[in-house]
Amino acid sequence: MIRSDIVRLYKTVHTWTGISCGFALFIAFYAGALTMFKEPIARWASPPAVGVAAVPLDDAPRLLELVAAAHPQAREEGIKLHLRGHENEPARVTWEEDAPHEEGQPHDHVHWWATLKPDGTLLAQPEEPSELADFINEIHMSVGIPQAAGLPLMGLVSLLYGVALIAGVIVLLPTLVKDFFALRVGKNLKRMWLDAHNVVGITALPFHLVMAITAIALCWKGELWSAQEVAIFGDRQAILMDRDNGPFEVPKPTGEAAAMMAPAQLLRKLEEQVPDLQPSFLVFKNYGDTAAAVRVPGAERGHVGDTHLGGVMLSAVTGDVLKDGALPSRQDPDRRAAETLYGLHTGQYEGLTIKWAYFFLGLAGAWLFYTGNLLWIETRRKKARDGGAVEQSRSTRLLGSATVGVCLGCVAGLSLSIVAAKWLHGRVADLNHWHAVVYYVVFLGSIAWAFARGAARSAVHLLCLSAAATMAIPLTTLTALLFPALGMWAHGSAATLGVDVVAFMGALCFAWMAVATLRRTRHGPADSVWSIRKPGQASALSTPVPADA
Amino acid sequence: MAGEIRPDWWGKTSAGAILGLGLALSLTGLYAYLGPGGIDAPGGRYSLMRFLEAFVWITVFGFCFLFRSGRAAWAWLGAANLIAFAALFACRFHFFA
Repeated sequence: MIRSDIVRLYKTVHTWTGISCGFALFIAFYAGALTMFKEPIARWASPPAVGVAAVPLDDAPRLLELVAAAHPQAREEGIKLHLRGHENEPARVTWEEDAPHEEGQPHDHVHWWATLKPDGTLLAQPEEPSELADFINEIHMSVGIPQAAGLPLMGLVSLLYGVALIAGVIVLLPTLVKDFFALRVGKNLKRMWLDAHNVVGITALPFHLVMAITAIALCWKGELWSAQEVAIFGDRQAILMDRDNGPFEVPKPTGEAAAMMAPAQLLRKLEEQVPDLQPSFLVFKNYGDTAAAVRVPGAERGHVGDTHLGGVMLSAVTGDVLKDGALPSRQDPDRRAAETLYGLHTGQYEGLTIKWAYFFLGLAGAWLFYTGNLLWIETRRKKARDGGAVEQSRSTRLLGSATVGVCLGCVAGLSLSIVAAKWLHGRVADLNHWHAVVYYVVFLGSIAWAFARGAARSAVHLLCLSAAATMAIPLTTLTALLFPALGMWAHGSAATLGVDVVAFMGALCFAWMAVATLRRTRHGPADSVWSIRKPGQASALSTPVPADA
Repeated sequence: MAGEIRPDWWGKTSAGAILGLGLALSLTGLYAYLGPGGIDAPGGRYSLMRFLEAFVWITVFGFCFLFRSGRAAWAWLGAANLIAFAALFACRFHFFA
């Protein structure tokens, strides 16, 4: 049995770590849940393009040769050959080149795509792809604060989040059996929210522990590197880093020309040698050289793993496997452990089922932090005494407003940022910049609104805004379909339709929450921060209605 | 255990944050030198280290409030750090002489 003084102590630890991290974690989890469908969102946001189908795989060798000859930098940096025919693959091949660089500015890249004209000549064009999905991922990683400050901050948040998890479990342990199997829906609202908070927290505990651990390692990559350099390695860390990067290192070009194996044949050779690898795309390095190599990232059936960096490297001349140290089934035990942890963070295993599970776990996590804040407020809520009106304290009112503004501002901001991908395409010069503008305007505006109008009123307004912004996603697609003259598009693939369908259902959920909140603000206990009535004032209805959420 | 546990927020939090990191680095360092295959183990060990550090850090930080007082937290965790770092530096000089 855990002593009551320990439980009390850890309750304080849980409260303060939770309250201080709640906002950042809500944003990280909500945006993180969306990144599970990064790929479909990127496809949804990509304008119609030439596409992969314009150049059959059998004609790819000619396209690769022309690109390698005309773009020496692409040859060096790697020419990406697309295989899947997704909407976010603008053509059969793409690559990046360095943008003209100004002193003191960060290095920038120009994205190119290339296809074959009907007469067999090369058509190559620079065009920036939609970075919407990357923007959502950035919000997930650093909650919208510039990364130089945002990542270290999120490292700290993750550390405190880990402590909050341990503290929460210690607090719950003595009454776990009693509390865990009970969701007491009823008059005592605080009890119900606490029960729900506990059920969601405990059932998803392994998920949350993995997230806390991996997020610290990912956010504080640089800081931990420096700490390791001082404490563990002296100045010999570089040797180990080189060894770690071994499986990804490309052979040096020899300068002698060689005939390249055709991509179709390379894929057959790959199938023979590594049957379980499902290639996402091929990257040709030093095309035309005797030491030319092909990186083949992809998922390996039956393994958790990095589907972006992992995979194998083939010789582009013979198709033989050059390196397979990054392939899940052939990794050394330490790399396997590391990559499994990373894969557990990013939901990279066994395809769609886990992606959906992570999507809901992420949303449930966001909800956990939202309810955590609510519980803090409810705990501090002063109960109206017989006849006496009670004013809520400043701290509970401010935290109520902040919770509503930050959480719902993030939801509405992300939805409208997604919508902007179609409405602003072709109408603004730098669409990728506008994704951020839309998000920040909505996010900051929502916070301002929440403080101006108070938690109760603004919660209803902002939930309506979230519902409308999210509903705008499928409506935009519908509009594009009905009015082609607007210059928008409606892709028909299952993945992009999935984005519309999920957004539609999400919008209904937000609308339902708006209605429930409205009811509570009108008929719930008047002394709550969630009420729009003055304490002591009678319910808007003649008969009192029991408050429900 | 006898007597009430003292909150000592500053003492315990600083012990958890600072000495937790120290223990995380030293124990992970020891694993790097002494784990299967030693310091010449295949490359992947390096990728794993940060995850191990995060795990030890969270664990120490999370449970350090169980110490009876801030002073006790600093004493016990400090001693653990001293031992772990002594072993780590011994490894460093042994393997990188």
